[in-house]
Amino acid sequence: MERSEIQRRVTNVVASVLAIDPAEVLPASNFVFDLGADSMKSVELIAGFEEEFNIEMEEEKAREVQTVEGAVDFIAQYVK
Amino acid sequence: MAESPGPGRSRLEPIFSPQSVAVVGTTRVPGTVPYDIFYNILKDNFQGTIYPVSPRERSIAGVKAYKYILDIPDPVDLAVIVFPSSVVKLAMEQCGQKGVKGVVIISAGFREVGPAGVEREEEIKEIARTYGMSFIGPNCLGVINTDPAVHLNASFARRMPSAGSIGFLSQSGALCTAVLDYAHAKNIGFSKFVSFGNKADISDIDLMLALKDDPATKVILMYLEEMTNGEAFVDAARQVIHEAGKPVLVLKSGRTQQGASAAASHTGSLAASDEIVDAALKQAGVIRCQTIEEMFNNAIALAYQPLPKGRRVAIITNAGGPGVLTTDAAIHERLELATFSDRTRDVFKRSLPVTANIKNPVDVIGDARADRYRVALGSALEDENVDGALVILTPQSMTDIDTIAEAVCSVASKYDKPTYASFMGETDVASGIAILQRRHIPHYILPESMCRAFARAHDFGSEKDRRLTPAVRFSDVDTAAARTLLESAIAAGRAYLPPADAMQVLAAYRLPVLRSAIARSAEEAASVAAAIGFPVAMKVDSDDIVHKFDVGAVMLNVSSPAEASAAFSTIHARVKAHRPDARINGVLVQCMAGPGEEVILGVKRDPAFGAVVMFGLGGLFVEIFRDVAFRIAPIPPEHIREMMHEVKAFPILTGARGRAHRDTAAVAECLQRLSQLAVDCPQILELDINPLIVRDQGDGCAVTDARILVADTERASEDSAGAARNA
Repeated sequence: MERSEIQRRVTNVVASVLAIDPAEVLPASNFVFDLGADSMKSVELIAGFEEEFNIEMEEEKAREVQTVEGAVDFIAQYVK
Repeated sequence: MAESPGPGRSRLEPIFSPQSVAVVGTTRVPGTVPYDIFYNILKDNFQGTIYPVSPRERSIAGVKAYKYILDIPDPVDLAVIVFPSSVVKLAMEQCGQKGVKGVVIISAGFREVGPAGVEREEEIKEIARTYGMSFIGPNCLGVINTDPAVHLNASFARRMPSAGSIGFLSQSGALCTAVLDYAHAKNIGFSKFVSFGNKADISDIDLMLALKDDPATKVILMYLEEMTNGEAFVDAARQVIHEAGKPVLVLKSGRTQQGASAAASHTGSLAASDEIVDAALKQAGVIRCQTIEEMFNNAIALAYQPLPKGRRVAIITNAGGPGVLTTDAAIHERLELATFSDRTRDVFKRSLPVTANIKNPVDVIGDARADRYRVALGSALEDENVDGALVILTPQSMTDIDTIAEAVCSVASKYDKPTYASFMGETDVASGIAILQRRHIPHYILPESMCRAFARAHDFGSEKDRRLTPAVRFSDVDTAAARTLLESAIAAGRAYLPPADAMQVLAAYRLPVLRSAIARSAEEAASVAAAIGFPVAMKVDSDDIVHKFDVGAVMLNVSSPAEASAAFSTIHARVKAHRPDARINGVLVQCMAGPGEEVILGVKRDPAFGAVVMFGLGGLFVEIFRDVAFRIAPIPPEHIREMMHEVKAFPILTGARGRAHRDTAAVAECLQRLSQLAVDCPQILELDINPLIVRDQGDGCAVTDARILVADTERASEDSAGAARNA
């Protein structure tokens, strides 16, 4: 899958889970600091990515991902 | 008392007294830390401006929220960060860019969670340094300032305490909430209330010094779990107590393993870290408390009432039994029952029933109403033979409890002497107790606590005015010689100094070392002993034998050259039998010390407090009873005397039960010289003089054996364990 496609779909998941405008979701956005994800939302984000890309991520490592860009890189490892 | 802001206070000014506060990372979910902190500041009527900073919300509790602190149009003095630890550094970075000077980091997940947390903590320290910000925390409950001009509750405590003159500083956040609840029930107010958590930047010492200069704070209470910079703590506490005249009360928990793991010598094993903390706090004049209750019992006495100028108390009671209990408790605390003047006795005779006891304790009889208490308390406090009053009440059917409480408060307020009370019971006396608490008469459920608080308040009064004499510096010592011996042992990779060198180090500091020499053969033993003069003591000189007596390697009262030769051979044979692998350098031949009492002197270098000096009586007193006293070097002469008197068996040296009075002045000089040696030679990790023989008064004392540990404690422990296995 193209990186730009991953980026687009990650942005949509983030916007949907956090109920924000996709335009607010920038590559450098930090889920917690910029987008206001609390611990519950972080779990929902991981679940949302897994469903969107039909993958199963290593949860402990997935929790360490802090930014949208980081999530794209992380998911790219699973959807090659 | 200095009112101008000192260096500690100015750094803390934006934290204690901000004009504007931003809560960074707050949310709209009540019952969560990020929301409750914001809401507490809001509902507890902060006098400045408050800004919620939340990435997702447009407003919190009706207050316009900002996505970033950088979006706030006005200056921000204090930021309270409640974000998860993973993004605290981002928040700190923006606080720095915003020009914030004070930060409280509530978030947990730093040093307390392991290496990853340590790294995060270092990152935020670096950001704070870069931008010149001071911060409290991380991992804390927050900060409260009850000053009406500020009225800041930047914490997630359930309640804001009332204003008072007690400053409370705590390493534990959870304990803070318990203390607030406890204090609320007893109507105790606070000036400042700080949970300092990991103290990554602002330390307990900074906070103590800030409260020293805080006009609203009269008494400082601290709950500590560790004392990493003990020497600085002691210096700061001394400043608070002796310069500002404010009492410092410490509740210290969490005994560390350091003392036990480094136990390579007698002093090492006896000087467990908690005993060192105890000694250091005593030396600083800090009142150490064992429980929260004891801490507040003492604090209210110190905060609410004048300090007692003496130990003479008047006990006023409406019940015989409790009067006797209070008398017992007072005597136990070394208080004295005041002897009333004739004038006071006349007033009592005229005003009290004939059945009343007009001596101390004054029994105003079970049916006493407020008028009798008023007369008895007023006359007692008027009496120049009385330094303070202890009022006891038990609730009989005719006892007008509330009126008596009002009378006690009103009479006590007219005198510059302390009055404490114990209204005994619970239900019936509750309203009276509430009156006493509201009007700042310290109240105690038990007379014992009341007497203890009186005694501590008196002790503090004496301590704060005490000016200690600087520790003696002897000019006749040879520091270079001592250091050379210590350095050469270190260079040779030795854990312990050879016994002869250890004695030479002590001799360089003019400690009374007995004349001695090493013999390397039986023949040499005879000639060396003859040169020293009979009788002599002989003991093996071996790095591998720690407990020489245990392997029969010490022989005393050797009285002729022939005996000396034989003793050499015997010692050799015994050591070889018990420890075939032991390396024997020779046999030390030493002048006999003569009759006297055995005492032990020691030094231990503590990671937090530096050089600690120990004194105790020898033999059983050390081994079984641990009857020893410690002080941090350098030791003022007053504390040399006090540490000697602290040892319970000390009267054995001062003529108890017809014994000879030993030369205690010579012991004091030895302790002073040892204290100087410990300060001058940081190479010494541990040192035992065991025993020091104390002869009769005027005849001095003699060091008969000494061990000095110079290497790192880990290796020393191994050496010691090896020696113990083989002994």
